[in-house]
Amino acid sequence: MSLLLSGIVFGLITASVLSIASVGLTMQFGVTNFVNFAYGELLTSGAYFALVFNQSLNMNIWVALVLAALIVAVESYLVNRVVIQPFIKRKARLLILLVVTIGLQLFLENAIQAIWGAGFQQYKTSPGSLLHLGPVLITVQQLVIIVVAACIMVATHMLLKFTKLGKAMRAMSDDPELARVSGIAVKRVTDITWLISGLLAGAAGVILAINTNSFTPALGANFLFVIFAAVISGGIGNPYGAIAGAVVIGVVMEVSASYIDSAYKTVVAFAILILVLLVRPQGIFRSRGRV
Amino acid sequence: MNGLLYYLLIAAVYFCIYCIYCWGINLQFGVAGILNFTFITFVAVGAYFAGVTALGAPDGGLSGQYILGWHLPFPIPPVLGGIAAAILAVLVGIVGLRRLRSDYLAIVTVSVGQIAWFIAGNNVHLFNGWDGISQVPQPWNSVFHLSFTNYGWVFLVICIVLAIIGYIVSQALYRSPYGRVLRAIRDDEDVAAALGKNVFAYKMSAFIIGSVFAGIGGALTVEFVGAFNPSGWTTPETFIIWAAMLIGGQGNNKGMILGAFVVPVVFNEITRFLPNIPGHPQLIDSFRGMAIGLLLILAVRFRPSGLLPERKTLFSLVPTVKGSEGDDRHVLQG
Repeated sequence: MSLLLSGIVFGLITASVLSIASVGLTMQFGVTNFVNFAYGELLTSGAYFALVFNQSLNMNIWVALVLAALIVAVESYLVNRVVIQPFIKRKARLLILLVVTIGLQLFLENAIQAIWGAGFQQYKTSPGSLLHLGPVLITVQQLVIIVVAACIMVATHMLLKFTKLGKAMRAMSDDPELARVSGIAVKRVTDITWLISGLLAGAAGVILAINTNSFTPALGANFLFVIFAAVISGGIGNPYGAIAGAVVIGVVMEVSASYIDSAYKTVVAFAILILVLLVRPQGIFRSRGRV
Repeated sequence: MNGLLYYLLIAAVYFCIYCIYCWGINLQFGVAGILNFTFITFVAVGAYFAGVTALGAPDGGLSGQYILGWHLPFPIPPVLGGIAAAILAVLVGIVGLRRLRSDYLAIVTVSVGQIAWFIAGNNVHLFNGWDGISQVPQPWNSVFHLSFTNYGWVFLVICIVLAIIGYIVSQALYRSPYGRVLRAIRDDEDVAAALGKNVFAYKMSAFIIGSVFAGIGGALTVEFVGAFNPSGWTTPETFIIWAAMLIGGQGNNKGMILGAFVVPVVFNEITRFLPNIPGHPQLIDSFRGMAIGLLLILAVRFRPSGLLPERKTLFSLVPTVKGSEGDDRHVLQG
């Protein structure tokens, strides 16, 4: 029983990281209508920018997180403006856009490896004292991760529900042509979406790196299909579905890790992805698919 | 033997094998419009299965552990390798090709690649984990008893014969009514479906045939090198083949020959000779990865139809329409 309980608690920690990353990916998909295969590298960039602030400049890891997330937001904006937009302008087919993002993925991962090397890196930070959550022991740092994720989810909800920008983003996600003729500044909303998507990716990357303790340039690429599993379970393009998907994937992964070899927990996420695609490709939490 | 000559011999063998890969991926993407972002996994499956069906039973010592352990004569192992790759293609296709947007197949292939690599590396019982399989016997050399270098010439002949067969098969498929339907599906899936074509079945069959090319190419690699492990099929390997296909000219089988020469042979061989920078062992590898990524983006940006563009046949009564700029599919060439 306590094994199951600890599985659920650790599942919530994984779900925290996963939900931030998944919301960022799915939001960008909703507005632009294509999958960004370089998204994992935005997470990796975040982790390495924070490394510079944390190790070389001796900053607190949470301050480093904020700065790194801001830089990744700019990186994501530039990715859209410099690499993606020229293809959008030429009305490139979806297939070509996907080839472009995967080429970018390869480029960014290797650029990070060229700058920081392929070896393991670690932040200068301590997990903090242990807290008793019933029979489960978690660190202060893990608690902070859950709180930060919860705050980001609430902020995302406020943005989508109560701001004009959020409404515009949802409108574009539902029907881009209708949004355009309704007078929504499609280009500006797209720009801001890439900024927000990058901001979330950067934050998720740093938290992922804190949570896994040590990391390599493959950090984001290895995590990408877990993000896909969460995003697709929740119905791709739907931020609330992505959060729900992240909780399901996170908890199932960690609970399974209590019972089978924990190295295979990503295989469990993969199995869920395949199952969802076979049985309900529009996502568990979505009634109306755009598949 | 002359060192340079032997070096050229190896390059020629790889050139033939890369041609086979390129025709495979060209059938998938160039002809049928299927995104396979983990082509190298199908290569690996072919290589592993050809390896373990040629090796003989594991002796428990240096050779490590692996499944099957049959000792079958050439050319049965490459055939089995091709079949194994085809079976993986069926499984991936069932998940990714059913009435889904092409994003989904791409996601499935990327995920399958990651998981397959992880499992092949971490599970020592399948294909001996990270160490991989080694000492795979050279085809027919128990008959010839040649030295490693002299045997290379025999193997080159085998590769050339298979490459010629591969080209003839690829051209026949491309020109056949079957290939015409695939191209129609690539250009507009809905139109093809409206004309009563079973889009799923056509895409699935192209995916399978392309994977068989991958599997046979992988089998040839392992029979030539004698060893295979996860470091031989990392993600960039897939995109070397992609870059070769895009630069050669997607949809054009002759372009694949040019692409296989320009990218894997020339590009790979040039970067092989770059000096290692002391203290940064992985730097050259990183630059190679960056260059391949950049090559993909630049190829589809500035030369979307490649060096040898596909010749589109045009019914002469149809007026020439110029489509949206950049979308090369609509720029009709007479």
